Amino acid sequence: MITLLSAVFGVLLAALLLFLVRRDQLHISHGLGWALAILLCALLGFAPSIFDAMATSLGVSYAPILGVALAIAALVIKALLTDIEISRMRVRQQRLIQKVALLEAELQEITGRPPIDD
Amino acid sequence: MPTPSATGHSDTLIGGAVLMPALNEEAVIGEHIAKVREAVDLPVWLVDDCSTDGTAQCAAKAGARVIKLPARLGAWGATQAGIREAASRGLDFVVTMDADGQHNPRDIRALIKPVMDGECDVVIGSAPERGSTLRRLAWRMMRLTSGLRCRDLTSGFRVLNQQALSLLSGPRASYLDYQDVGVLLMLEQAGMRILEVPVVMPPRENGKSRIFSSWLAVASYMAHTLVLGTVKRSRPWSPQ
Repeated sequence: MITLLSAVFGVLLAALLLFLVRRDQLHISHGLGWALAILLCALLGFAPSIFDAMATSLGVSYAPILGVALAIAALVIKALLTDIEISRMRVRQQRLIQKVALLEAELQEITGRPPIDD
Repeated sequence: MPTPSATGHSDTLIGGAVLMPALNEEAVIGEHIAKVREAVDLPVWLVDDCSTDGTAQCAAKAGARVIKLPARLGAWGATQAGIREAASRGLDFVVTMDADGQHNPRDIRALIKPVMDGECDVVIGSAPERGSTLRRLAWRMMRLTSGLRCRDLTSGFRVLNQQALSLLSGPRASYLDYQDVGVLLMLEQAGMRILEVPVVMPPRENGKSRIFSSWLAVASYMAHTLVLGTVKRSRPWSPQ
Protein backbone atom coordinates (compact mmCIF):
# COMPACT_ATOMS: atom_id res chain seq x y z
CA MET A 1 0.00 0.00 0.00
CA ILE A 2 2.79 2.42 0.94
CA THR A 3 4.39 1.75 -2.47
CA LEU A 4 1.19 2.80 -4.23
CA LEU A 5 0.77 5.88 -1.99
CA SER A 6 4.36 7.04 -2.65
CA ALA A 7 3.91 6.58 -6.38
CA VAL A 8 0.56 8.45 -6.47
CA PHE A 9 1.98 11.25 -4.30
CA GLY A 10 5.00 11.52 -6.61
CA VAL A 11 2.88 11.70 -9.75
CA LEU A 12 0.53 14.31 -8.23
CA LEU A 13 3.41 16.45 -7.04
CA ALA A 14 5.10 16.22 -10.44
CA ALA A 15 1.86 17.38 -12.07
CA LEU A 16 1.61 20.29 -9.61
CA LEU A 17 5.20 21.31 -10.40
CA LEU A 18 4.60 21.30 -14.12
CA PHE A 19 1.46 23.36 -13.55
CA LEU A 20 3.37 25.91 -11.44
CA VAL A 21 6.12 26.23 -14.08
CA ARG A 22 3.47 26.62 -16.78
CA ARG A 23 1.73 29.37 -14.77
CA ASP A 24 5.05 31.21 -14.13
CA GLN A 25 4.72 30.62 -10.39
CA LEU A 26 7.95 28.61 -10.22
CA HIS A 27 11.18 29.22 -12.08
CA ILE A 28 12.21 26.37 -14.37
CA SER A 29 15.56 25.92 -12.56
CA HIS A 30 13.75 25.28 -9.25
CA GLY A 31 11.14 23.19 -11.03
CA LEU A 32 13.84 20.95 -12.48
CA GLY A 33 15.43 20.34 -9.07
CA TRP A 34 12.10 19.48 -7.50
CA ALA A 35 11.15 17.28 -10.46
CA LEU A 36 14.34 15.26 -10.04
CA ALA A 37 13.74 14.88 -6.28
CA ILE A 38 10.17 13.73 -6.82
CA LEU A 39 11.19 11.33 -9.57
CA LEU A 40 13.71 9.79 -7.18
CA CYS A 41 11.05 9.48 -4.45
CA ALA A 42 8.62 7.81 -6.85
CA LEU A 43 11.29 5.37 -8.06
CA LEU A 44 12.19 4.47 -4.49
CA GLY A 45 8.49 4.06 -3.73
CA PHE A 46 8.21 1.49 -6.55
CA ALA A 47 11.35 -0.32 -5.42
CA PRO A 48 11.32 -0.43 -1.59
CA SER A 49 13.79 -3.30 -1.65
CA ILE A 50 16.54 -0.70 -2.33
CA PHE A 51 15.94 0.69 1.18
CA ASP A 52 15.96 -2.80 2.68
CA ALA A 53 19.33 -3.49 1.10
CA MET A 54 20.70 -0.08 2.19
CA ALA A 55 19.38 -0.51 5.74
CA THR A 56 20.95 -3.96 6.03
CA SER A 57 24.32 -2.70 4.82
CA LEU A 58 24.16 0.30 7.21
CA GLY A 59 23.00 -1.81 10.14
CA VAL A 60 19.60 -0.10 10.46
CA SER A 61 17.15 -2.64 11.84
CA TYR A 62 13.93 -0.84 10.72
CA ALA A 63 14.38 -0.04 7.02
CA PRO A 64 11.49 2.48 6.49
CA ILE A 65 12.98 4.86 9.06
CA LEU A 66 16.09 5.17 6.87
CA GLY A 67 13.92 6.63 4.10
CA VAL A 68 12.29 9.05 6.53
CA ALA A 69 15.66 10.13 7.96
CA LEU A 70 17.13 10.69 4.49
CA ALA A 71 14.05 12.65 3.43
CA ILE A 72 14.28 14.89 6.53
CA ALA A 73 18.01 15.45 5.91
CA ALA A 74 17.32 16.38 2.27
CA LEU A 75 14.57 18.81 3.31
CA VAL A 76 16.78 20.46 5.95
CA ILE A 77 19.57 20.93 3.38
CA LYS A 78 17.07 22.36 0.91
CA ALA A 79 15.68 24.76 3.57
CA LEU A 80 19.22 25.88 4.43
CA LEU A 81 20.09 26.49 0.76
CA THR A 82 16.86 28.47 0.38
CA ASP A 83 17.76 30.64 3.40
CA ILE A 84 21.25 31.28 2.00
CA GLU A 85 19.68 32.38 -1.28
CA ILE A 86 17.13 34.57 0.54
CA SER A 87 19.97 36.23 2.51
CA ARG A 88 21.82 36.99 -0.74
CA MET A 89 18.68 38.36 -2.35
CA ARG A 90 17.92 40.50 0.70
CA VAL A 91 21.37 42.06 0.59
CA ARG A 92 21.07 42.63 -3.16
CA GLN A 93 17.64 44.20 -2.67
CA GLN A 94 18.87 46.41 0.18
CA ARG A 95 21.81 47.69 -1.86
CA LEU A 96 19.55 48.38 -4.84
CA ILE A 97 17.12 50.32 -2.63
CA GLN A 98 20.05 52.39 -1.33
CA LYS A 99 21.34 52.96 -4.86
CA VAL A 100 17.92 54.07 -6.13
CA ALA A 101 17.61 56.52 -3.20
CA LEU A 102 21.07 57.99 -3.85
CA LEU A 103 20.49 58.32 -7.59
CA GLU A 104 17.07 59.90 -7.04
CA ALA A 105 18.55 62.41 -4.59
CA GLU A 106 21.24 63.31 -7.12
CA LEU A 107 18.74 63.51 -9.97
CA GLN A 108 16.53 65.80 -7.92
CA GLU A 109 19.49 68.08 -7.22
CA ILE A 110 20.37 68.25 -10.91
CA THR A 111 16.91 68.52 -12.46
CA GLY A 112 14.74 69.66 -9.55
CA ARG A 113 12.35 66.85 -10.40
CA PRO A 114 10.70 65.14 -7.40
CA PRO A 115 11.25 61.40 -6.89
CA ILE A 116 9.13 59.04 -8.99
CA ASP A 117 6.14 57.66 -7.04
CA ASP A 118 6.09 53.93 -6.32
CA MET B 1 44.95 58.55 7.90
CA PRO B 2 42.27 61.12 7.12
CA THR B 3 43.30 64.15 5.18
CA PRO B 4 41.99 67.16 7.05
CA SER B 5 41.11 69.67 4.40
CA ALA B 6 41.52 72.83 6.42
CA THR B 7 40.86 76.10 4.74
CA GLY B 8 41.95 79.54 5.78
CA HIS B 9 38.93 79.74 8.06
CA SER B 10 39.94 77.73 11.11
CA ASP B 11 36.34 77.03 12.26
CA THR B 12 35.27 75.63 8.91
CA LEU B 13 35.23 71.87 8.54
CA ILE B 14 35.19 70.55 5.02
CA GLY B 15 35.49 67.09 3.58
CA GLY B 16 32.86 65.72 5.95
CA ALA B 17 29.14 65.49 6.54
CA VAL B 18 26.69 64.87 9.35
CA LEU B 19 24.53 61.85 8.61
CA MET B 20 21.19 61.16 10.26
CA PRO B 21 18.95 58.18 9.61
CA ALA B 22 15.38 59.19 10.44
CA LEU B 23 11.97 57.60 10.78
CA ASN B 24 8.94 59.72 11.67
CA GLU B 25 10.81 62.48 13.49
CA GLU B 26 8.73 65.38 12.13
CA ALA B 27 8.22 66.90 15.59
CA VAL B 28 11.91 67.42 16.39
CA ILE B 29 13.92 67.11 13.19
CA GLY B 30 13.79 70.74 12.08
CA GLU B 31 15.03 72.09 15.38
CA HIS B 32 17.67 69.35 15.67
CA ILE B 33 19.10 70.08 12.21
CA ALA B 34 19.14 73.80 13.00
CA LYS B 35 21.19 73.06 16.15
CA VAL B 36 23.62 70.89 14.18
CA ARG B 37 24.11 73.58 11.54
CA GLU B 38 24.64 76.13 14.29
CA ALA B 39 27.26 73.93 15.98
CA VAL B 40 29.31 72.91 12.94
CA ASP B 41 29.80 74.10 9.40
CA LEU B 42 29.12 70.76 7.78
CA PRO B 43 26.45 69.64 5.33
CA VAL B 44 23.68 67.64 6.99
CA TRP B 45 22.41 64.57 5.15
CA LEU B 46 19.15 63.07 6.33
CA VAL B 47 18.34 59.56 5.14
CA ASP B 48 14.59 59.23 5.43
CA ASP B 49 13.73 55.59 6.17
CA CYS B 50 10.30 55.76 4.50
CA SER B 51 8.69 58.06 7.08
CA THR B 52 4.93 58.38 6.97
CA ASP B 53 4.96 61.94 8.35
CA GLY B 54 6.60 65.14 7.11
CA THR B 55 10.14 64.30 8.27
CA ALA B 56 11.69 64.72 4.81
CA GLN B 57 9.96 68.07 4.16
CA CYS B 58 10.88 69.45 7.61
CA ALA B 59 14.49 68.34 7.16
CA ALA B 60 14.72 69.90 3.70
CA LYS B 61 13.22 73.13 5.04
CA ALA B 62 15.83 73.16 7.81
CA GLY B 63 18.59 72.98 5.20
CA ALA B 64 19.43 69.27 5.13
CA ARG B 65 20.09 67.27 2.00
CA VAL B 66 17.41 64.58 2.02
CA ILE B 67 17.94 61.08 0.68
CA LYS B 68 14.59 59.28 0.62
CA LEU B 69 14.69 55.49 0.72
CA PRO B 70 11.94 53.95 -1.43
CA ALA B 71 11.51 51.08 1.07
CA ARG B 72 12.16 50.83 4.81
CA LEU B 73 15.58 49.34 5.63
CA GLY B 74 15.92 50.02 9.36
CA ALA B 75 18.39 52.34 11.07
CA TRP B 76 21.52 50.53 9.87
CA GLY B 77 20.30 50.18 6.26
CA ALA B 78 19.51 53.91 6.21
CA THR B 79 22.85 54.80 7.75
CA GLN B 80 24.69 52.60 5.27
CA ALA B 81 22.98 54.40 2.37
CA GLY B 82 24.56 57.64 3.60
CA ILE B 83 27.89 55.92 4.20
CA ARG B 84 27.90 54.63 0.61
CA GLU B 85 27.23 58.15 -0.64
CA ALA B 86 30.04 59.55 1.51
CA ALA B 87 32.46 56.83 0.34
CA SER B 88 31.60 57.39 -3.31
CA ARG B 89 32.17 61.15 -2.91
CA GLY B 90 35.49 60.49 -1.18
CA LEU B 91 34.62 62.40 2.01
CA ASP B 92 37.27 62.46 4.73
CA PHE B 93 34.83 61.65 7.50
CA VAL B 94 31.18 61.30 8.41
CA VAL B 95 29.47 62.01 11.73
CA THR B 96 26.53 59.69 12.32
CA MET B 97 23.94 60.77 14.84
CA ASP B 98 20.36 60.01 15.82
CA ALA B 99 17.63 62.26 14.46
CA ASP B 100 15.64 62.32 17.70
CA GLY B 101 17.75 64.94 19.43
CA GLN B 102 19.42 62.52 21.83
CA HIS B 103 22.89 63.48 20.64
CA ASN B 104 24.15 66.95 21.42
CA PRO B 105 25.47 68.71 18.28
CA ARG B 106 27.91 70.65 20.48
CA ASP B 107 29.85 67.41 21.00
CA ILE B 108 30.52 66.96 17.27
CA ARG B 109 33.77 68.95 17.20
CA ALA B 110 35.21 66.98 20.12
CA LEU B 111 34.37 63.74 18.31
CA ILE B 112 35.83 64.83 14.99
CA LYS B 113 39.14 66.03 16.40
CA PRO B 114 40.80 62.63 17.11
CA VAL B 115 39.90 61.43 13.60
CA MET B 116 41.19 64.64 11.99
CA ASP B 117 44.39 64.39 14.04
CA GLY B 118 44.89 60.81 12.84
CA GLU B 119 44.71 59.40 16.38
CA CYS B 120 42.05 56.88 15.41
CA ASP B 121 39.80 55.74 12.56
CA VAL B 122 36.50 55.65 14.44
CA VAL B 123 35.25 57.71 17.36
CA ILE B 124 32.26 56.67 19.46
CA GLY B 125 30.37 59.31 21.43
CA SER B 126 30.08 57.23 24.55
CA ALA B 127 27.56 57.56 27.39
CA PRO B 128 27.63 54.17 29.14
CA GLU B 129 25.93 55.54 32.24
CA ARG B 130 22.69 56.14 30.35
CA GLY B 131 19.86 53.66 30.32
CA SER B 132 18.35 51.26 32.80
CA THR B 133 19.99 48.42 34.74
CA LEU B 134 18.57 46.02 32.15
CA ARG B 135 20.23 47.89 29.30
CA ARG B 136 23.55 47.78 31.14
CA LEU B 137 23.11 44.06 31.71
CA ALA B 138 22.44 43.65 27.98
CA TRP B 139 25.64 45.57 27.15
CA ARG B 140 27.59 43.38 29.56
CA MET B 141 26.29 40.22 27.87
CA MET B 142 27.08 41.68 24.44
CA ARG B 143 30.65 42.51 25.52
CA LEU B 144 31.07 39.05 27.03
CA THR B 145 29.98 37.20 23.89
CA SER B 146 31.60 39.45 21.28
CA GLY B 147 34.84 40.17 23.10
CA LEU B 148 34.45 43.87 22.26
CA ARG B 149 35.97 46.25 24.77
CA CYS B 150 34.00 49.39 23.95
CA ARG B 151 31.89 50.54 26.87
CA ASP B 152 29.04 51.97 24.81
CA LEU B 153 28.21 49.40 22.16
CA THR B 154 24.93 50.86 20.96
CA SER B 155 25.75 54.53 20.55
CA GLY B 156 24.89 55.78 17.07
CA PHE B 157 26.89 58.97 17.68
CA ARG B 158 30.09 58.15 15.81
CA VAL B 159 32.70 59.59 13.50
CA LEU B 160 34.03 57.38 10.71
CA ASN B 161 37.09 58.23 8.64
CA GLN B 162 37.58 57.40 4.95
CA GLN B 163 38.91 53.88 5.59
CA ALA B 164 36.01 53.05 7.90
CA LEU B 165 33.56 54.48 5.35
CA SER B 166 35.06 52.35 2.60
CA LEU B 167 34.83 49.22 4.75
CA LEU B 168 31.26 49.80 5.90
CA SER B 169 29.96 50.70 2.45
CA GLY B 170 30.74 47.19 1.13
CA PRO B 171 28.28 44.31 0.65
CA ARG B 172 29.52 42.42 3.74
CA ALA B 173 28.22 45.19 5.97
CA SER B 174 24.82 44.86 4.26
CA TYR B 175 24.38 41.49 5.95
CA LEU B 176 24.10 43.29 9.30
CA ASP B 177 20.79 44.35 10.78
CA TYR B 178 22.03 46.71 13.48
CA GLN B 179 24.85 49.21 13.76
CA ASP B 180 26.27 47.95 17.06
CA VAL B 181 28.10 44.66 17.67
CA GLY B 182 28.33 43.49 14.04
CA VAL B 183 29.61 46.83 12.79
CA LEU B 184 32.07 47.27 15.66
CA LEU B 185 33.43 43.73 15.20
CA MET B 186 33.85 44.37 11.49
CA LEU B 187 35.77 47.59 12.19
CA GLU B 188 37.92 45.97 14.87
CA GLN B 189 38.75 42.92 12.76
CA ALA B 190 39.81 45.19 9.89
CA GLY B 191 42.34 46.79 12.25
CA MET B 192 40.50 50.09 12.67
CA ARG B 193 41.47 52.06 15.75
CA ILE B 194 38.36 52.82 17.79
CA LEU B 195 38.28 55.53 20.43
CA GLU B 196 35.50 56.36 22.86
CA VAL B 197 34.93 59.98 23.79
CA PRO B 198 32.57 60.66 26.70
CA VAL B 199 29.42 62.62 25.86
CA VAL B 200 26.19 63.36 27.67
CA MET B 201 23.03 61.90 26.16
CA PRO B 202 19.77 63.36 27.44
CA PRO B 203 16.55 61.33 27.13
CA ARG B 204 14.83 61.26 23.72
CA GLU B 205 12.86 64.38 22.84
CA ASN B 206 10.34 62.42 20.81
CA GLY B 207 9.03 58.85 20.71
CA LYS B 208 10.86 55.76 21.87
CA SER B 209 13.74 53.60 20.69
CA ARG B 210 13.23 51.87 17.35
CA ILE B 211 15.09 48.82 18.62
CA PHE B 212 13.67 48.64 22.13
CA SER B 213 10.07 49.29 21.09
CA SER B 214 8.59 46.19 22.82
CA TRP B 215 9.71 43.24 24.92
CA LEU B 216 9.47 40.99 21.86
CA ALA B 217 11.66 43.40 19.90
CA VAL B 218 14.19 43.44 22.76
CA ALA B 219 14.25 39.60 22.87
CA SER B 220 14.73 39.38 19.09
CA TYR B 221 17.44 42.05 19.18
CA MET B 222 19.31 40.35 22.02
CA ALA B 223 19.11 36.92 20.34
CA HIS B 224 20.44 38.41 17.08
CA THR B 225 23.21 40.35 18.77
CA LEU B 226 24.43 37.67 21.15
CA VAL B 227 24.57 34.98 18.46
CA LEU B 228 26.25 37.35 15.99
CA GLY B 229 28.80 38.43 18.61
CA THR B 230 29.59 34.81 19.48
CA VAL B 231 30.00 33.56 15.92
CA LYS B 232 32.01 36.55 14.71
CA ARG B 233 34.16 36.86 17.83
CA SER B 234 37.88 36.90 17.08
CA ARG B 235 39.32 37.63 20.52
CA PRO B 236 40.17 34.55 22.62
CA TRP B 237 37.72 33.76 25.43
CA SER B 238 38.85 35.07 28.77
CA PRO B 239 37.05 36.21 31.92
CA GLN B 240 36.39 39.97 31.76
